[in-house]
Amino acid sequence: MKRIKYLIVVLLLILGFNSCEKDDICVDGNTPLLVIRFYDINNPETLKAPSNLQVRGLLSTDTYGAIITNASADSIQIPLRIEDLSTTYNLSTNTTTDAANANEDLIAFTYTTKNIFISRACGYIVNYENLTTELEIDADNWIKSIEVIQTSIENQNTAHVKIYH
Amino acid sequence: MLKYIISLYFIFLVSLGWSQSKSVNLQPKDTIKKTERYGLRVGIDLSKILQSTLDENYTGLELVGDYRLKPNLYLATELGNEKTTKQEDLYNFTASGSYLKLGVDYNTYENWFGMSNLIYIGGRYAFSSFSQTLNNYQVFSTYRYFEEGEFANGSDIPVEYSSLSASWLEAILGAKVQLFSNIYLGASVRLGLLITNKEPDNFRNLWIPGFNKVTDNSKFGSSYNYTITYFIPLYKKKKEPKKQPTSSE
Repeated sequence: MKRIKYLIVVLLLILGFNSCEKDDICVDGNTPLLVIRFYDINNPETLKAPSNLQVRGLLSTDTYGAIITNASADSIQIPLRIEDLSTTYNLSTNTTTDAANANEDLIAFTYTTKNIFISRACGYIVNYENLTTELEIDADNWIKSIEVIQTSIENQNTAHVKIYH
Repeated sequence: MLKYIISLYFIFLVSLGWSQSKSVNLQPKDTIKKTERYGLRVGIDLSKILQSTLDENYTGLELVGDYRLKPNLYLATELGNEKTTKQEDLYNFTASGSYLKLGVDYNTYENWFGMSNLIYIGGRYAFSSFSQTLNNYQVFSTYRYFEEGEFANGSDIPVEYSSLSASWLEAILGAKVQLFSNIYLGASVRLGLLITNKEPDNFRNLWIPGFNKVTDNSKFGSSYNYTITYFIPLYKKKKEPKKQPTSSE
């Protein structure tokens, strides 16, 4: 009987450990953001921060989302739509400090998505491929030129798009 | 689920207790030859039947059998089929397939006269052939600007990944207790070590029939069973006399 009692304790211990869940927090991967860096049109090697930049995504026709606040001086990281193959952003300068010279430009990013399984906890993320951009031409574009450096977006380590202004 | 398993433990604990309660004459004056019965024991896993009725996302059946080769050595096998649907945080999948386990059990329990209970350790080589269906998924992203806090929908169209397979080694700790003349109640816990694992592209084998849950970055898995088995006696063999330890009183 002593051995059976011992066995039951062991069985219970093993079952107890069996029901532990360890891998339910996703740390192994993430859907990358689009990284844009701003350069001087007159001096294309030099980074140049747009003055008082405001970045808003187009949610639906004429409706913009909240201002994206992770826009630092000369580099911004912005999310792309996962369910659609196109995302439009409104990048405007001088909106608050110099409202008279405010200038809004619209850029449409088009791409394809690729679903990638990461781990049990994360499930699927998306990488973007075949990235192209289109600047909506208006009377006075503050953005002079856009260059796509990397057409596939797999991480946020380097810039994918350069904007010259 | 664990609640039922624990309750089951206590039920079985009582049966273990009953089966041990026979009084034993320590000075038997019998002249009967001590023989042991050899034969085939076949049965079914009760826990999988119970789980199939309680859990609508699970169906499973396992047949078990063992054959006594030597006084303490048994050739043992399990044959089963399982299907389960799991909801993870961002996706839902179904794993379905069959498995076969082959190996030996070694009895470490020394029975009193007339009893044939087992506390055994065992080893198995197991093979499973199965398919996984990704029923639906959402896409993980930490910055959800366009989705208003929700995760973006990936797909609701089930995708089946078929002809998957895995094999593993299993270490077993278990007990079989004689309830009535030929009826045995058994329980075992099993620790599996994955050897081969054929995985689909862009998905993973997250649950393998017979092996149970597959954990990230680990080759180990654990499972259990509770069996009821029927012993079919085939022949009797004289019990080999036990070497008497020299008394030093």
